[in-house]
Amino acid sequence: MATLAHQVQEQRLEGIGVCHGIALGAAFVVDDPGGRVVRARLPEAELDAEVARFQQAVQQAQQQVQQSRERLRSVLGEEHAYILEAHLLMLQDRSFNRQIEQFIRQNHANAEWAVRAVTNHLLAIYAEIADDYLRERGSDIEDVAHRLIRILSGTQSRDLNLLAQDAIVVADDLLPSAAIELDKNRVRGVVTNAGGWASHTSIIARSLGIPAVVGLHDITSRVRTGETIIVDGGSGTVIVHPSPETLLFYSEQRGRELQQVVCDLEERELPAITPDGYEITLRANIELLEEIDALHQYNAAGIGLYRSEFLYSMAVAGLPTEDEQYEVYRVLAETSGDEGVVIRTFDLGGDRLKLEGFKPERNPALGLRATRLMLNLEQVFRTQLRAILRAAAHGKLKIVLPLVSTLDELRAAKSIIAEVERQLRDEGVGHDEDIEIGVMVEVPAAVMLAELMAREADFFSLGTNDLIQFMLAVDRTNENVNDLFAPLHPGVLKAIKLVVEAAHKAQIPLTVCGEMAAHPAHVVVLMGLGVTDLSMRPSAIPLVKRVVRAVDMTAARGIAAHALSLTTPAEVNKYVQSQVARYWSQIFVAPSYSR
Amino acid sequence: MQRQKVIVKNRLGLHARAAARLVRLASSFQSEIELLRCDARHRVADAKSILGVLMLAATQDTELEVVARGVDEQAALSAVVALINDQFGES
Repeated sequence: MATLAHQVQEQRLEGIGVCHGIALGAAFVVDDPGGRVVRARLPEAELDAEVARFQQAVQQAQQQVQQSRERLRSVLGEEHAYILEAHLLMLQDRSFNRQIEQFIRQNHANAEWAVRAVTNHLLAIYAEIADDYLRERGSDIEDVAHRLIRILSGTQSRDLNLLAQDAIVVADDLLPSAAIELDKNRVRGVVTNAGGWASHTSIIARSLGIPAVVGLHDITSRVRTGETIIVDGGSGTVIVHPSPETLLFYSEQRGRELQQVVCDLEERELPAITPDGYEITLRANIELLEEIDALHQYNAAGIGLYRSEFLYSMAVAGLPTEDEQYEVYRVLAETSGDEGVVIRTFDLGGDRLKLEGFKPERNPALGLRATRLMLNLEQVFRTQLRAILRAAAHGKLKIVLPLVSTLDELRAAKSIIAEVERQLRDEGVGHDEDIEIGVMVEVPAAVMLAELMAREADFFSLGTNDLIQFMLAVDRTNENVNDLFAPLHPGVLKAIKLVVEAAHKAQIPLTVCGEMAAHPAHVVVLMGLGVTDLSMRPSAIPLVKRVVRAVDMTAARGIAAHALSLTTPAEVNKYVQSQVARYWSQIFVAPSYSR
Repeated sequence: MQRQKVIVKNRLGLHARAAARLVRLASSFQSEIELLRCDARHRVADAKSILGVLMLAATQDTELEVVARGVDEQAALSAVVALINDQFGES
């Protein structure tokens, strides 16, 4: 029967979970009106009205962009608002508007069709441009065209700003402007056909704490607006047309998560001290200024890692200027309290910087990137350092250098920093003298040289994500080998121990800032190995605090010591799981607050 | 009519941010302002159109000619040339 065209059986789809959490809600399919538009041939008499309708849509689009730009400026800072500045200028572009008006008149076309046709023509010209960077600006033109067509076809109610409560956004991929407009008060979850861990959508979803699964290939054709959909961002599972049993199961799960959040907030003021009296410092890793709210919400001890390259990856073009960077660092310095902020200098590769004459690298992870690249591009490095040192006059900032593999790199960076300090002093510009300079220990060679590094660095940041990948020679985004990514690999544990001991010996602070710092079982092992300072995504702090408050330091030391005596990752995993399991009831079940 | 040649020196060339600055500046003058690529004279852009300016695909070291016609042509020409020489205030 034709009426049964639409399948209503439960379907489970597996994608890449990029932001954990469970969301249930009504799907909102962000269709692609820019792709298919209705074509109509209008009578001569209606052409003036059609042109007027187009002009009105342009006005409305400009207002929307202006509003978004203001919002973006207040949320992410001035440098990101530039994306929308370019969009605004396109809407004001005389020749663009004139071409569309001419198309309407010459072809008796409806405005949607005219916008689509003129845009397609422009995109075809852009596709010919030899320069990668400029060619990519095509996506901005597409973005502007979508907005116009959305307004013209009366689907502006589908603007993400105007979503109903509890919507799960379903899209092919979100355009930059749409991803930026996600409102966490209305959007419960995000699922997309395209994308990976590092795509725009994923980064924004993570920073806003919206459960998200990407890389689902054809989710937009499997669900319709209004249908119920479940997103489990932790496992990467998306369920469409859930059965009543599934729905009940997930709503209970979600209920538990929410209850957890309430308790987390009630536990906000509790100190992170083990039952036998050892204090552990819990810091936040952040990428966006907006996350500063979360920093206070979870009572983090400052920012243990600020990934500054995010300033670059979000900018429309080029590196942010000294003043743009200064503004961001100053806000960080002023709002993150006595514990301050550790700013990681740009961890970028030459490919992403679109360097003139930069040959594509066969293996960028082992290529010219991070501190190596900054020492090559000294001017870019100096600009960033000036901005940091100036901002450090407004609060406590520290600098950490990514991907250091030799003492030469540390020494070269330190001497440049000293020189920049001197210049600022000579210019009479307010800045911080004696800023602390740390090393991000994430290359196996740096582990082996930890004792030497500790003599010349003011502190260590132990970046476990990259360290594990480099030590085990495993790319954790590669499906063929990602099951070999083993944080509790005996070799990794020995490396961590080596670095911790070197830091203790030289009496310099050490912070672990990889994902291990947010994983309950791994935290127990890290504590046992002598780590007392952890930095993680802000939303992980409550859970980690519970771990700290539940597990005696002596017990953690016993667990770590025994783990070090085992021979394979599987053995360590099994042992650690069995040991920490007895704490789980305390950690995962929300305590009841009798009133 | 006033005209002058100038070389785009910034690393990313006339990219979106630079183009936006240029278009904003050009739009503040009454004169018509055009940009021509010296290596391909048929490629001309209205300096007040961001799509046109971007489509010049002027990468680093491209030589452009700025042409201004109108009541404030001298001021317009020197302002646009100065912005390009100043690497769009980015250096």
